[in-house]
Amino acid sequence: MKFLKKAFVVMASVLVLGASSYSLRAQSVDSAMLLHPPADSWPSYHGDYTGKRHSKLTQITPQNVNHLTLGWAFQTERNATIKSSPILVDGILYFTVPDNVWAVDARSGQQIWHYTYPPNKGDHIGQRGVAVYKGWVYFASPDAHLVCLNAKDGKVRWIIEVADVNKGYWSTEAPLIVGNHVIIGIGGDMDNLATFIRAVDPDTGKTQWNFDVTPPALTASTGGTTWMAGTYDPELNLIYWGTGNPTPVLTGSTRPGDDLYTCSIVALNPDTGKLVWAFQPSPHDTHDWDAVEIPVLVDGMFHGKQRKMLMQSSRNGYFFVLDRTNGKSLLTVPFGPVNWASKIDEKGQPVPNPVKEPSPDGVLIAPDEGGMTNFRSPSFDPHTGLFIVDAHPSWSLYFAKPADGTFGWAGADYGLWGKGVIEAIDYQTGKIRWTHELGPNGSGAGVLTTDSGLTFTGDAHGNFLALDTANGKTLWHAGSGAGIASSPITYKLDGEQYVLTSSGSVLFAWKLPSASR
Amino acid sequence: MQRFRDAMLLAVGVGFFIFQARPTPIYAASNRVASIAGAEFQVDLPPSSATPEKPGAGTSAKPGAEAYAHHCAICHGDQRQGLLPSFPPLLGIKHQMTDPQIIAFVHNGKGRMPGFPNLQGDEMTALLRYLGSPALSVTETASAENSNAAAIHSSGLVDAGKSLFQQNCAFCHGRDAMGGETGPDLTRSKLVLSDVAGDKIGEVVRDGRPEKKMPSFNFSPQEVLSLAAFVHDQEAKASSKKGGRRGVDVADLQTGNAELGKQYFNGAGTCAKCHSATGDLAGIASRYQGLQLEERMLYPRGATSRVTVTLPSGEKVVGTLAYLDEFVVGLRDSSGTYRSWPVGHVKYLVDSPVEAHVALFPKYTDADVHNLMAYMQTLR
Repeated sequence: MKFLKKAFVVMASVLVLGASSYSLRAQSVDSAMLLHPPADSWPSYHGDYTGKRHSKLTQITPQNVNHLTLGWAFQTERNATIKSSPILVDGILYFTVPDNVWAVDARSGQQIWHYTYPPNKGDHIGQRGVAVYKGWVYFASPDAHLVCLNAKDGKVRWIIEVADVNKGYWSTEAPLIVGNHVIIGIGGDMDNLATFIRAVDPDTGKTQWNFDVTPPALTASTGGTTWMAGTYDPELNLIYWGTGNPTPVLTGSTRPGDDLYTCSIVALNPDTGKLVWAFQPSPHDTHDWDAVEIPVLVDGMFHGKQRKMLMQSSRNGYFFVLDRTNGKSLLTVPFGPVNWASKIDEKGQPVPNPVKEPSPDGVLIAPDEGGMTNFRSPSFDPHTGLFIVDAHPSWSLYFAKPADGTFGWAGADYGLWGKGVIEAIDYQTGKIRWTHELGPNGSGAGVLTTDSGLTFTGDAHGNFLALDTANGKTLWHAGSGAGIASSPITYKLDGEQYVLTSSGSVLFAWKLPSASR
Repeated sequence: MQRFRDAMLLAVGVGFFIFQARPTPIYAASNRVASIAGAEFQVDLPPSSATPEKPGAGTSAKPGAEAYAHHCAICHGDQRQGLLPSFPPLLGIKHQMTDPQIIAFVHNGKGRMPGFPNLQGDEMTALLRYLGSPALSVTETASAENSNAAAIHSSGLVDAGKSLFQQNCAFCHGRDAMGGETGPDLTRSKLVLSDVAGDKIGEVVRDGRPEKKMPSFNFSPQEVLSLAAFVHDQEAKASSKKGGRRGVDVADLQTGNAELGKQYFNGAGTCAKCHSATGDLAGIASRYQGLQLEERMLYPRGATSRVTVTLPSGEKVVGTLAYLDEFVVGLRDSSGTYRSWPVGHVKYLVDSPVEAHVALFPKYTDADVHNLMAYMQTLR
């Protein structure tokens, strides 16, 4: 009897596995699916909740990657640069530029539908993609509204106002679905505004909770704009979100102290929005260094002990490894030139050097306002233990004087020089194991790694690159014709692995010719 | 022959128009039909997709919106925003033309715009009403009660310019035009101060400033006018406003000691290895001043590099470095001709004296920078 049961389980597993590798299963995007995304999907901003942007797919290898060829290209026919991460479910890709959402066939690149949002006076700097849940697509508009569309045809189900555009709020963020919550953030980092992270009901858009980035009791400062999808640990039931800079931006005199919880990584209970812990990469920021960069969740050994870790390559130039159960620091180390902190304190936080605050006659600062990295995604490769990031060593001048006031920017800054370099950081030590130069000024491309040992990214000239994860050497490249400002994704459909990259306003799907597979 | 050519042009033009005339419903999803069968736009239009769902709102705007989507949207844009430079925006068209003029236009066409003689009766009335309506703002769709919505596009030049500015310029130049993430404070810009009704601003907007990473924009003369109006309005407000991002005055940069700067120039700064106060830097402070001088001092953008390429034959080609990535090296030789090679096929050596500036960044103290700046300012 026991044998029969075992045999049945084995048979059933084989059937399920077989089915999944040969045909597309109908995917209902629910909580279970988001926890274990199948290979023929990329159902959330980072592909999965960890933010590692590492794929288990192995069809494209260091040996055959030089055969990679264009599967298709999709022209948005818009001026806006694609900065979004496409979402893939049921063979359909969903991606955005401000005011626009497309649904495109992931096999052929053919458009299925296109939604356009009405003209509005929100900030149109960028749009980072949608979230999909149970047949609905969630899209944040430039004027801080949340739009719910039918995934089948793009028709509007509802539109809610998240924050008032007339006050200066705007939005670029890709929402994140956790359980029965659509989690969103809003922008407004130049108008001394109070900002928040919000969870809304996926069916009605009704607010479930708000987390105030600058808690009312402590609000000497404003700001803290959140604009990147966070990550989620289902075991601890915590979401991890990066928050933006305080305002006034370059003048800190009216907001003494650390300005909690701006420029922070906050760990929140996704069901209540309650803060469990916070870690602040940039206490009392006066350089516009939003700490919104992806909080990457990694389980593994750290100095001989099994840990649940959180890693962030922060815009301020420091690489952080935290224990994500409690926010305690395991490692803080710069990953390029930084000169604004006097020391690292016992909590692992850099302590700002007062002489490096913006001044009337200017101070020389590294990195520049764009930071050592920014919204582009890093990747963690579990085989090599490498945290791979598109870095931006850079220098700039920062100015502020009393006459600049205490509203908005309240100062001025000017980048002097910068370049792009892919860095492979050993998370145990913070040492950089290899680097790959990308060219002057820098690249905006994110990083994707795969189980076969490949690293996909782009350089400052608009070349798509496939590197050997072991040593950073280039194995394949293709000129794309424009700057790259998104992070690659990969998926497998009908037995074929695709790598998706964007450049300018075009989306490119790469795969192997059938003979090379 | 002339007549034949005209007929051909007309036929091609009409064919192109029909090919282009695919269904493009507004404010909602549209299906871009993959094949040329999309020309059957008359039957393809989904009747219910004209507006987003709007709780409690009437349907009176719908026939006009549908007529617009049918006949006009393909050229003038889903939201009447125009597709510049060829097709003008129709938002606010009723401020420029009377109803009879619009009707004549629609029936007869003009230039590359075809006539629509069959557009008559209720459909034409609805279209006229729709063309006179303000842009559909989201505030309307989200909360039908909000009466501010109509103000977005219907008020004066400054307001129109404000909307354009906030969508296209604010991220770099700040919402108040007083400077933002990467762009300078326009309210203190010399160019803005000398601008009259967009004559100078328009040039920068249309051509961009590639060396400063400012893109070029396609705006109509009317839009440039409104942008300039907004910027000048902000300029007027700036003097009374307390905050915002402010520029750097020459007076701000006078805290250094010129004598110490000279010592640094000849000593620890190693500047004298490449530069001379009486040679290449003679009169530098007359050519540049203030922040511009300081930025050039720290890193002169756009400085040229020389490259020597050795071909497999042993021949050496020398020129100005024009392109270099990890795959291709390109140069301009002494005759100005561009030549390039795959880097694997040649040997090359780049001479970039400007890189010495990068090596100095970690070594400067702020006092060094201020002193050096003071010294540079004496080189008139």
